[in-house]
Amino acid sequence: MSSETDRSTGSTRVLGDTWRSVDDGLRSVGNRINPVFQPLADGYNRLFGAYFGEMNGLQFLLIFGSLLGLLTAPFWGTFSLIQTMTIACIWAVFAMSWDIQSGYTGYISFGHSVLSGVAAYATAMLVYNVDPEMSMAITIPLSILAALAVGMLIALPTLRLSGPYFSLITFVAVLIFYRMIRPFSEYTGGETGIQTVSVFTYDPLVRYYYMLIPMLVVAVALTFVARSNIGLVLMAIRENESAVNAAGLDATKFKLWSFVLSSIPMGIGGVLLVHYYGSVDPTTFVVVDNSIEMIAMAVLGGMSSILGPLGGAFLFVMLEDFLLEGLPASARWTILWTIILLVLVFARDGLFRKLWHALERYGRRGETR
Amino acid sequence: MLGTLLSILILGAMISAVYALIAIGFTMIFGVGGVLNLAHGALIMLGAFAYLGLTSTGGMLSLPPLVGFVIAVAVSAAASYAMYAGLVQFIEENVVITFLATVVVALLATELVTFWFGTDPYQLVPLVAGSIHLETVGTRVRYMELLGFVISWIAIGLLWYYVTQTDEGRSILATSMSERGAQLTGVDLDFVKSRTWLIAGAFAGIAGVFLGSLLSTYPEMWLNPLAIAFIIVVIGGIGSIKGSVVAAYLIGYLETVTIQFLGSSFQGIFSLVVLVVVLLVLPQGLYGREFVHE
Amino acid sequence: MSNNDNKGAEMTNAGKELVRRRTFLGAAGVGAVTTTLAGCLGGIAGEDDDIFRIGHLAPTRSQMGLGAERSIEIAVDEVNDDGGILDQEVELLSENTEGQVDEGTAVVESLVQEDNVDLLVGTFVSEVTQGVMDFVADRNVPFLITGSADPDTITEFHGQDYEQYKNVFRTGPINSDLQAEGMGQYAEFLSDEHGWEEFAILADDAAWTGPFMDRLPDEIEERGFDVVHTDTMGIETDDFTQYLDDVDSADADAVFRFIAHADSAAFVSTWQSNEYPFAVEGINVPGMSPAFWDATEGACLYETTSQSGAGGVAELTDQTMPFVEEYEDRHADEDPPSKPMYMGFNSYDAVHFYREAVESAGTADYENELDGIVDAMLSTEHTGAAGDMALYDEDSEYPNDLQETRDEDDYISNFPMTQWQEGGEVECVFPETDATADHVAPEWL
Repeated sequence: MSSETDRSTGSTRVLGDTWRSVDDGLRSVGNRINPVFQPLADGYNRLFGAYFGEMNGLQFLLIFGSLLGLLTAPFWGTFSLIQTMTIACIWAVFAMSWDIQSGYTGYISFGHSVLSGVAAYATAMLVYNVDPEMSMAITIPLSILAALAVGMLIALPTLRLSGPYFSLITFVAVLIFYRMIRPFSEYTGGETGIQTVSVFTYDPLVRYYYMLIPMLVVAVALTFVARSNIGLVLMAIRENESAVNAAGLDATKFKLWSFVLSSIPMGIGGVLLVHYYGSVDPTTFVVVDNSIEMIAMAVLGGMSSILGPLGGAFLFVMLEDFLLEGLPASARWTILWTIILLVLVFARDGLFRKLWHALERYGRRGETR
Repeated sequence: MLGTLLSILILGAMISAVYALIAIGFTMIFGVGGVLNLAHGALIMLGAFAYLGLTSTGGMLSLPPLVGFVIAVAVSAAASYAMYAGLVQFIEENVVITFLATVVVALLATELVTFWFGTDPYQLVPLVAGSIHLETVGTRVRYMELLGFVISWIAIGLLWYYVTQTDEGRSILATSMSERGAQLTGVDLDFVKSRTWLIAGAFAGIAGVFLGSLLSTYPEMWLNPLAIAFIIVVIGGIGSIKGSVVAAYLIGYLETVTIQFLGSSFQGIFSLVVLVVVLLVLPQGLYGREFVHE
Repeated sequence: MSNNDNKGAEMTNAGKELVRRRTFLGAAGVGAVTTTLAGCLGGIAGEDDDIFRIGHLAPTRSQMGLGAERSIEIAVDEVNDDGGILDQEVELLSENTEGQVDEGTAVVESLVQEDNVDLLVGTFVSEVTQGVMDFVADRNVPFLITGSADPDTITEFHGQDYEQYKNVFRTGPINSDLQAEGMGQYAEFLSDEHGWEEFAILADDAAWTGPFMDRLPDEIEERGFDVVHTDTMGIETDDFTQYLDDVDSADADAVFRFIAHADSAAFVSTWQSNEYPFAVEGINVPGMSPAFWDATEGACLYETTSQSGAGGVAELTDQTMPFVEEYEDRHADEDPPSKPMYMGFNSYDAVHFYREAVESAGTADYENELDGIVDAMLSTEHTGAAGDMALYDEDSEYPNDLQETRDEDDYISNFPMTQWQEGGEVECVFPETDATADHVAPEWL
């Protein structure tokens, strides 16, 4: 027994030493790179810091490096990488939208795929039932509005409920929507769905930007909101709802706001998805698995940080469709879910938040432990 | 008409008995730890597949069904305990993380089973073969269904005896009423929770073998029962054993009646609608008030 | 043989790797803007590399899909041993659609745009088939459907705009309108054999069973029999007692059930353990698996299903047995299925059929000579492993769809009926020209 303890502390010590030297190494690299980008970061901080938060040189490099990478991807990536990233853009919209509602307020929704599903079905059903020639200028706003309306329909009665009840009823909302599709197959196309929706384009390059640009707009908008007072209140609701009420703020009203903020981009994502595939069907658009995957993405990147879920979505979709693509499906999913579970247990705050804080530390000059 | 009613009465009772077993385990775990254990469904699947692996005539072991049944239930109970001891107890202070972790465990288990057994369905060797033809009623009841009904009530009876008549059991009940109160009166929380997870796992295992035999056994077989357990538990009041039993029969009959009179396309929708109504009118469920909520 | 097999697989992967390492703008045929841009940057390389690529699409996690993948491998090896297609070596790129639209769309796009396949074969799930249809039609790549039998896939597409969809064909199975007629003939056969005259119909609440619900009652009644009960079963149903009770109380002699989802095992086991007094006939997709006997612990005894290829037990043509034996040789000790299953027959036949067509057309250049290929496809007559094959022409009710074949009694013969018999044997029972055993009624009747 005692020898085992010795060994384990011994190995911990070795690990600790290794980690410290790696840590020091990274710090010195960080200290060298940070000043290079600090002036740019300072400029950014002066202009936008008040709205989006300040960052140091390393963090500036991460954000704008990634942005540059995303914008230029077709010029250096392979075909399947671009294909994967196109899909990842849509899922990033979903994960960020989920985050502003569930991640920030702590009211975990298991039913967000209803919102995107409603938007997608609204588009398809308008084209299928009303007018096949209806222009996107009409269907897109109407579909987003439909997502918003359904979002309110779910939010109004349920936000009074406490956490677990809220999760259950959002879960049930997915099941109800899913099961209604079949009895009304005359309008919904039943389980084979509707194929008559037009795609934006079959040109994969153009399509990539069709998905990327709305995703970036949503990211900027939600980051702005999350960094504003609304975001603060939403987080306060998660930490202590009665304190929010005691401070004279109507918590229910803010929770409702979070649903509005979430439903609109969910609607946008749903519309992007339906014009990506040019079709809707219940298994691709509605099933509860979709809701769970959104949550997994947000968890992976770090809940309540907007950009974390964005990164999480890219990481998740990349792993699923690109990095692990050669493996049989069940092995692939086993690996994915194991990673998510490990992150949940050992890195609750998410990988991208960890990265962000690490960059902050390594950027700090001359800091010693 | 009378025949139809009788047939509904019998068929509804059979399926409700199995639902009750699932819902009780689910609700007990919530009662004592505040954990919504979405991996509960995976335990059902595990029970069914353990039984399949042990007893299937084409398999390696081909154990007698009764032996297989006992081991399968033990496997589910052990898996449930392992999940508590190996995972949940380290994260349970954060409700959201626990909730999400159990979902992920369920999905992980499904993929692992798919990896070994594939996605195609299996039938289990029945514990008792054969059936009775109730000619006047116009239906047939398999011995397996009767056995399920009987075992379900024996299990419920034993559980009732345990939680009301023994000190160990009473500490479980006390904990589910007020964790702090129980702690103050000297209840060993860790012990209570391990026991609860064991019992819940065993109940899920029993339900798994019966669902797997009466319906079929495949990796995603737990999805529907879990959704039904959700509905039952919410209607009965989260945390209430009595509520779960009552609501299980309510939902079991509701489904049977729906298929009989409205047809299959509305199956599953009706009980969801009832659930929504209950949630909005009676958010704590039928018997939710016997527990203290913060 | 297994050596050969491995080599084929390696080559396939190596070829794919090579293609896939090119950057995005280097992949040809990706679209107008991309092409222009890539042209400016000098990205596109010449594409004609003397390899004929076939993309195969199936849900390979299921037995049906896996059987199809293994079968088309055999066809490709046979074609290569015989000099390839138009003297080009054939390379197979087999992809898993997961039976889902999102996955299906993604793999079809990369097969067409990145790998530049010359032919697409497969798709089992109707949603996937219809989901990729517009893209495939847009790109003009010849696409041979070998799994889904929904008539809509032809009538809603080719029927509306033949020009647009003329590159899409179905070389098997016959569509379910025709299957429904075959089922009516089978009712006649059952009546001759056993004197059964009252039938019930139970169908999955799913699109593919629509033709049976619409047509089969008339087919049965036209022949002078009664349809005493019809009902649809919810796709999430797993408790069939009530449905079977209803059939029982209607006093049916046999029920035609059309079921494709996982719980068909529960259906047959409920029927068997309760010894319901009627026979179970029709189509049961999971029941086509050779492993179904073990999976149901023998409960499937006496149930029947129709399937192209007759489960590989009957010598339908002189091509059937060599193919089935080759399949069994290769996969004797591997995961199920131990026989090709129906999509396997169709995917195998599709490759040989297409080869015969383009060799008579003298070109497989679909970008420039699509009309020539379409004409050749419509005039080709080929003897496949599942039967004699020819397609309906543009002016018929089902353009580009597989024609049914008929025996001397006018019975449809390329969608035969098989039955699970004593000891877990699959026997072909209908039509009689191909039957390997008599149809057996459940012993408790």
